[in-house]
Amino acid sequence: MPSRRRTLLKVIILGDSGVGKTSLMNQYVNKKFSNQYKATIGADFLTKEVEFEDRLFTLQIWDTAGQERFQSLGVAFYRGADCCVLVYDVNVQKSFDDLNNWREEFLIQASPSDPENFPFVVLGNKVDVDGGNSRVVSEKKARAWCASKGNIPYFETSAKEGINVEEAFQVIAKNALKSGEEEEIYLPDTIDVGSTSQQRASGCDC
Amino acid sequence: MHEPDIHDLSDDADYAAASKQGSSSMSRTDSSKRSSSSDPEDAEIVYLKDNVTIHPTQYATERISGRLKLIKQGSSLFMTWIPYKGQSSNARLSERDKNLYTIRAIPFSDIQSIRRHTPTIGWQYVIVVLSSGLAYPPLYFYSGGVREFLATIKQHVLIARSSEDANVFLVNNFQDPLQRTLSSLELPRSLAKGSPSSSFKGTPSDERLDKGTLEDNQLSNNIQQNNRQRQKNHDPARDISIQVLEKFSLVTRFARETTSQLFRESLVDGHGPAEKRRNNWASKDHQRQEIASNDVDDDVPKRVPVASDPLEFEKLSLVWGQPRQHPLGLEEWSTFLDSEGRVGDPNALKKRIFYGGVEHNLRKEVWGFLLGYYSYDSTYAERQYVVSVKKSEYETIKNQWQSISPEQAKRFTKFRERRGLIEKDVVRTDRSLSFYDGDDNPNVRLMHDILLTYSFYNFDLGYCQGMSDLLSPILFIMKDESEAFWCFVSLLERLGPNFNRDQNGMHSQLFALSKLVELLDAPLHNYFKQNDCLNYFFCFRWILIQFKREFEYEKTLRLWEVLWTHYPTEHLHLYVCIAILKRHRVKIMGEQMDFDTLLKFINELSGQIDLDPVLRDAEALCVCAGENGAASIPPGTPPSLPLQDGSIYQQQDDEVL
Repeated sequence: MPSRRRTLLKVIILGDSGVGKTSLMNQYVNKKFSNQYKATIGADFLTKEVEFEDRLFTLQIWDTAGQERFQSLGVAFYRGADCCVLVYDVNVQKSFDDLNNWREEFLIQASPSDPENFPFVVLGNKVDVDGGNSRVVSEKKARAWCASKGNIPYFETSAKEGINVEEAFQVIAKNALKSGEEEEIYLPDTIDVGSTSQQRASGCDC
Repeated sequence: MHEPDIHDLSDDADYAAASKQGSSSMSRTDSSKRSSSSDPEDAEIVYLKDNVTIHPTQYATERISGRLKLIKQGSSLFMTWIPYKGQSSNARLSERDKNLYTIRAIPFSDIQSIRRHTPTIGWQYVIVVLSSGLAYPPLYFYSGGVREFLATIKQHVLIARSSEDANVFLVNNFQDPLQRTLSSLELPRSLAKGSPSSSFKGTPSDERLDKGTLEDNQLSNNIQQNNRQRQKNHDPARDISIQVLEKFSLVTRFARETTSQLFRESLVDGHGPAEKRRNNWASKDHQRQEIASNDVDDDVPKRVPVASDPLEFEKLSLVWGQPRQHPLGLEEWSTFLDSEGRVGDPNALKKRIFYGGVEHNLRKEVWGFLLGYYSYDSTYAERQYVVSVKKSEYETIKNQWQSISPEQAKRFTKFRERRGLIEKDVVRTDRSLSFYDGDDNPNVRLMHDILLTYSFYNFDLGYCQGMSDLLSPILFIMKDESEAFWCFVSLLERLGPNFNRDQNGMHSQLFALSKLVELLDAPLHNYFKQNDCLNYFFCFRWILIQFKREFEYEKTLRLWEVLWTHYPTEHLHLYVCIAILKRHRVKIMGEQMDFDTLLKFINELSGQIDLDPVLRDAEALCVCAGENGAASIPPGTPPSLPLQDGSIYQQQDDEVL
């Protein structure tokens, strides 16, 4: 397990239906955008090799269904996540309002060992739409929310145009790695297992 | 176990209050002040958990959250569950309802067993079964803590796991474990469904509920009296649960004695003795054909020796499943109809369609029968009449949302959100198909209108992702808006529970699937068990939308009409799942796929599955499983029609899940 943790970084993308979760993932991994994605049913993931500080990591990016009715299924997927990406559509107020629910739901279901410091990254997607004229959530407002939740890194992206996607995932990978390494301190080989990792190991089996 | 959309959550007083309670009760000492003051002085709270919730109905607004406590007094342990005060904004949930569900200091001597449910999907919950045989509704642990709960009990009371079921904890008395396991499957809802009994009257407030509970066992006595009365009355639901359990124990025995035994033999000898085979497989009289359980991934390097398929040794002699036939054509179709257009022998027709499907140009007519839009004994004239009556009925329902003005919509959040979800999904449903492609495609508009109308026709279920996938082929075949709508309605009579807020319909199907694999391929089952894959979540998409994303469009149409014949079983889709899994079992186990890899592998099978051989295997597996297979599927599991009329979306399967 410890050796697996070291190389695999698990990232979960959450957010309302239609904010562009699948598109962001595909833009980052395949450098492609399609208008014809289907609504995600269940869950899927893509992987990408990333190099960081001379080490190779596999970023495993999970794309989930956005309708809240499927949220309870998250238990099966969120477990062991190293970073959670919250996506909203800058043109849809509700998708921004819902970020808080997604964040809390994730913390409940993934039950990370240190919820206070679990790394999130927020993406305001679809900034390209209508040249920004249809935008309803200002960057300022979004940044204020991120600040209030423990300085969550924030990016304004366009999966369609590929704007800021690479940059955002760099930070996502970096933060995932950080959280993964903190876990590792407790994990390898020692018999006296720290309480943090114990909680982690038990997942949401509580 | 969640609400359909986030708006519901914010709307939901119970949820909001529960979250509040949850955050404030992190420090236990201060949150327990109020209740401890009302607890008897020499009692000690040994366990306290907030946000323990019951779901009297599936609706979020009708949940009741409360605080669960274990209280030690002298040598006795008591359990209490007290709903929070003043949260219920919902008129349907009166204080009286809360009183009804309140658990006031039930002594553990009155508890027979506790059944733990730890689904991978959704909240964990426990069902407490009283000695009387009655059970409280499931207590959902929103903030976790089931394990701690049981551990605490263990410190104070003698409990032991049932030998029959590791999730059943027997309290106090272990003389008759099987009997106890049986009763642990008592309908958890029997309390809720029973008439609001007089024994719960006269306790106006929570304050009062908490008071004097320990010295007063009257209530639990009342409960028991009430139970005895109830038990005297014939409670069909209760009987069903017991039947289910009995069937499950049959399954277990069958699996143990037959499948695994054969498997062991086949490990030793390579092949099991033929005599044994005949004795064990009840359905030996059926026509047999080779089950194509050979692995199709022969080119993949195999790293791990894989336990052989328990059915594979039968391969040589197996001639299951009839070869697929050509689709039903117009000429043959006319032989099924009498002069006025009635279908004389529906079963013969269904069987015929099962083996060959229907020619495309006949589908519009035949699907109407298969889906239940037309009755088989209707005449041409009657069907024409039905079409016109239903058309105006459809228009009436459609008009309900069409008449919502923009000003009204502004003040109708739920409507706007629902419409928004549908708008988002119809433009990404089968757009590569010429029927739905291009800008401003009128058929996309029709799909939108039908789905929105459906969400008014069945406002409780509303719209859920996946529905557009189910509607698309129906509209494609029926072409007509109203007819497509009513066929879709008929389909959702059966598949609606797939989209239930609590995912109950999916739960029961995934559960049945795991039971069937256990029965039909014990090594594969054991592999999934060891690798934490028993939730069968990797089959979620297959089941939710009936393999819609797994086959090319034309093949989906064929599969669906075959499934809709309900021949030889309503649950052929589960056997289709197994047939596909079996085809890849060597790869799955040989490459030691973990849950993630398996999910990815299954998702990527999309477009790679050959329908006809899979259907043949599925039929063979169904025949092979026989009654044991049928018994593995809880009653009411979709696409079976719901068990009770008038309560289509009520949960039915909690007691077996």
